[in-house]
Amino acid sequence: MGVTVLQPYPLPDGKSGAHIIDLLGKRLLSLGATHAGQFLVDCETFISTPQHGAPTRAVHVLHNSEYPASTFSMIDNGTGKQVSLVADNIFDLLMLKMTATFTSKKQTKIESRGARFEYGDFVIKLGSVTMMEHFKGILIEIEYRPCVMLSYCWEMIREMLQGFLGINVAKEYPSYFTTQTIINAMGQQQVHPKQNDIYEPMDTVKQYLEHFTNYRKHVQMHTAMGGTGGGGVGGPVVMGMQPSSVGGAGMGRA
Amino acid sequence: MIMDKLNVTLTAVKNLRSNVRQCFEHLADGTDGEGVEESRNKFVHEFQEKYNNINSQLREVEQLINGLQVPPTAYHLGNTTYLAQETSQDRQALYPQLVNSYKWIDKVHDHSFLAFNNLNQNTLRRSYNYCSQKRQRLPFSSFNNDPDHIEKLLSEINYPTHTTYKVFRPFGSNAVAIVTIANVLKAAIVFKGVLIEWVTVKGFDEQLDHDDLWAESRYEVFRKVQEHTHSAMLHFYSPTLPDLAVKSYMTWLNSHYKLFLEPCKRCGKFIANGLPPTRRDLRTLEPFHEECRNC
Amino acid sequence: MSTVASARESLSHALQNRFLPNLEFLLQGSILDSAVEHLMHRLKGLCDNVDTSPETFHDLEVCMSLRQPNQNAPLTLRVRRALDRDAPFQMRYLGQPEVDQRKPTLVRSCMDCACTNGILEFLTEMGFRLDFEYIAKGFMFRKGRMKITVSKLIKIIPGKQQDNDPISQSYIVELSVVAPNGQESVGEEMRVFADQLKPLVQLEKIDYKRLP
Repeated sequence: MGVTVLQPYPLPDGKSGAHIIDLLGKRLLSLGATHAGQFLVDCETFISTPQHGAPTRAVHVLHNSEYPASTFSMIDNGTGKQVSLVADNIFDLLMLKMTATFTSKKQTKIESRGARFEYGDFVIKLGSVTMMEHFKGILIEIEYRPCVMLSYCWEMIREMLQGFLGINVAKEYPSYFTTQTIINAMGQQQVHPKQNDIYEPMDTVKQYLEHFTNYRKHVQMHTAMGGTGGGGVGGPVVMGMQPSSVGGAGMGRA
Repeated sequence: MIMDKLNVTLTAVKNLRSNVRQCFEHLADGTDGEGVEESRNKFVHEFQEKYNNINSQLREVEQLINGLQVPPTAYHLGNTTYLAQETSQDRQALYPQLVNSYKWIDKVHDHSFLAFNNLNQNTLRRSYNYCSQKRQRLPFSSFNNDPDHIEKLLSEINYPTHTTYKVFRPFGSNAVAIVTIANVLKAAIVFKGVLIEWVTVKGFDEQLDHDDLWAESRYEVFRKVQEHTHSAMLHFYSPTLPDLAVKSYMTWLNSHYKLFLEPCKRCGKFIANGLPPTRRDLRTLEPFHEECRNC
Repeated sequence: MSTVASARESLSHALQNRFLPNLEFLLQGSILDSAVEHLMHRLKGLCDNVDTSPETFHDLEVCMSLRQPNQNAPLTLRVRRALDRDAPFQMRYLGQPEVDQRKPTLVRSCMDCACTNGILEFLTEMGFRLDFEYIAKGFMFRKGRMKITVSKLIKIIPGKQQDNDPISQSYIVELSVVAPNGQESVGEEMRVFADQLKPLVQLEKIDYKRLP
């Protein structure tokens, strides 16, 4: 288990997601990487039925094919407090016991799936994000397995990303690592630089959740603003609503 | 009935034996020695009496023995039967065990013979220094220093704050030091005396099992680093100044805390062939890719 | 290369093909402190994991419940934490017992789920409230796939973690198997084993509804 960084890939105008993923996959192979299976990260959000006096709580349940026996979940209690949990897969069945209190928002079920590559100790995943069968964008996951702290290997990861993506990646640590807050001993929230923490699988899942939330928000903005929505996904991601490309994305190398 | 007869016979044999013994004791004691006629007569008389007794008892024993019959069934001896060993081979599972241990010993013999031959041919051996006849020199004893020495030596080394170490001794007096360098890597250094015999390098999140110090890291980068630690081990080897060798080796090893942080000094890049610069220069401690080292 | 099955797909696959253990078969009984040594000897003779000494455990069980709208019974979850070793928290869901009188054991649906240590806080944020908590300390035996626990239940006095009192002068003895659907023969197997522990302890199917 090592440090993982997510990087949304901007979709150039007039290009389909499947085309870009195919291109990136070929680039990785010519670099010397090997194709090593498929991956899937999915997310389902459950919302508490409104009760008088209590804020709406949201439970996000995620799975990561890299950890196939685990279910990752996060609860947002509506007042800014988040608690995360890693549990056995059975947790999914337990959630179904609570349908009277927590109902699944089916229309926001979102997932990223695609091909998985290995290059040295790097694991690179070219994910195409889909929500309700609609293609949303390309999300690149890069993991450097031998390292347990971002501050040690960020420059390496950055060089790798810039190398095969051909885009400029900011020198600063990704925002997930710098904007985390913790409750200190005095009970106050304070910014906690996460780049010096030992990295955990939950961090990967939290990053996915962050990006998924952005994609979901984007849709809401998109529809609200009549299709002229601006960026907000941590990068200038151009949304090409191309349902036809969903099947091809990430499955090109069967 | 038979048992009774047998018992009587056994008692008779016992009596006979004790009488014979008494008789011989009497003979051995002899007379008072003064040659008094009276006592000599008494001695002979007593001997005759005993001798007659023996004769009559012998007859009795013979009679009793003739009266004995061959028992129709085996005697039931109660718990005493358990005293007897079971000697039938089939009943004891000794044979397969014997075969196994024989095979085992045979194998041990074969292997040790081969190992002995191989070790004798190995010119790279460092721990055992066989002095040649031509160049006589003082045999150094850096491999059998006292056990506390290595601990003292390690504690004298000035470690940076991010490095910790732990010493344990799974092989008798020889020490193994587990060194953890920042959150980057763990290394197990196996000493023989003060000489470094083996180094295993693993990732920070990997298990470094005390029972298995030889398993390789699952990460390519640490397998590569381990190769370099081995060549450095030979480079720093110095039988005449073993303490200094360990100290310089540890200094070199510590420079790995920037394993992922520093680009290659030659090409300026972090990654080559999917690996960071794994090689640290032995003098300057500068990082290089394996490929960039010689160009 | 085929695509990865989602976690939900593989879970329903496990349920359909009946290799997800989700039914608990249970027999219970109790034995006085003074006689527990005899029972331990009997179990040592009968069970599998007795090569060295019986396996001990020391767990804190916390029962949390969630009142759900339009449902009579609240949803209860039991969270177990080992006090004597470092192990993941265990969360357990237990369903209502089946009302089949012919079956030799109590049968109820059961789901076990290992969790990270945030589980209690997580459940609290979900709206669960504390029902009760106690400490169970004792021995665990194994015979085939049957699990036998001999445990002492200990009350928790808030603020006094050190000297907690046992709930009674006896040990609770439980014989249980968690098996997938459709393996009803387990009950018979358990009844035979329970007979071997008689008359030391009478393991029975306890009907919770009849308890006062």
